[in-house]
Amino acid sequence: MEENKEVESKVKVEIDETGPVKITGNFILKDLQRGTETKPGEVLLCACGKTSRQPFCDNSHEKKS
Amino acid sequence: MDKYKTSAGERKYTNGEITVYWKPAACIHATYCFRELIEVFDPGRRPWVDMKGAPTDMIIKVVNMCPTEALSWKWNDETKNQSIGPEQTNHIIFRRPELIEDEANREFEAPVTVKIMTDGPIVIKGTFELIYKGNKKVITDSLISICRCGASDIQPYCDGQHRKIGFTG
Repeated sequence: MEENKEVESKVKVEIDETGPVKITGNFILKDLQRGTETKPGEVLLCACGKTSRQPFCDNSHEKKS
Repeated sequence: MDKYKTSAGERKYTNGEITVYWKPAACIHATYCFRELIEVFDPGRRPWVDMKGAPTDMIIKVVNMCPTEALSWKWNDETKNQSIGPEQTNHIIFRRPELIEDEANREFEAPVTVKIMTDGPIVIKGTFELIYKGNKKVITDSLISICRCGASDIQPYCDGQHRKIGFTG
């Protein structure tokens, strides 16, 4: 059980050619723009700039402009 | 302008009490400097550092926020540099190399922080795994700045384009 706990807390940042930045694990998310601080465990952050739900992905990267 | 150059691209700026060192190659655009102290650090101005813009203690405080060695500082009086502790600066390698082991032990326990910079990049600091296009890299006790506006020429990293395109988010 100790082993499982450690695997969950390791932070992973996954980035692909297109799409959001996926961050999982034990991290603190500090949104300086909106003045919030949370420990979400997992987030999908917009990397294309087009989201209407800053700073989170809303699949705008998939839409044809 | 030549008198400020120490080597290619690098500059130093002084107000008589401290000297601020600027290494553009190390800058990762975390944007802490001009957000905290635009009176001194203004990327829209040449030269971009104005040492008369704020008192010495304010400049020290903000230079200490720089996560890389792009900005660093030293007292002009060399004897004062000998007694600076790690709590006063994040550039202990520059001033007190004998403290590096202590610092490494301290940093290891700190959690990873993910900061959304206002109208700027995602700054991720700590020890974590970075998987880019399927390639895994372990980032150890370090900091990366990820593009959030989509305009960077060095994806996935920030290169300052967000300012040029007026990105808000």
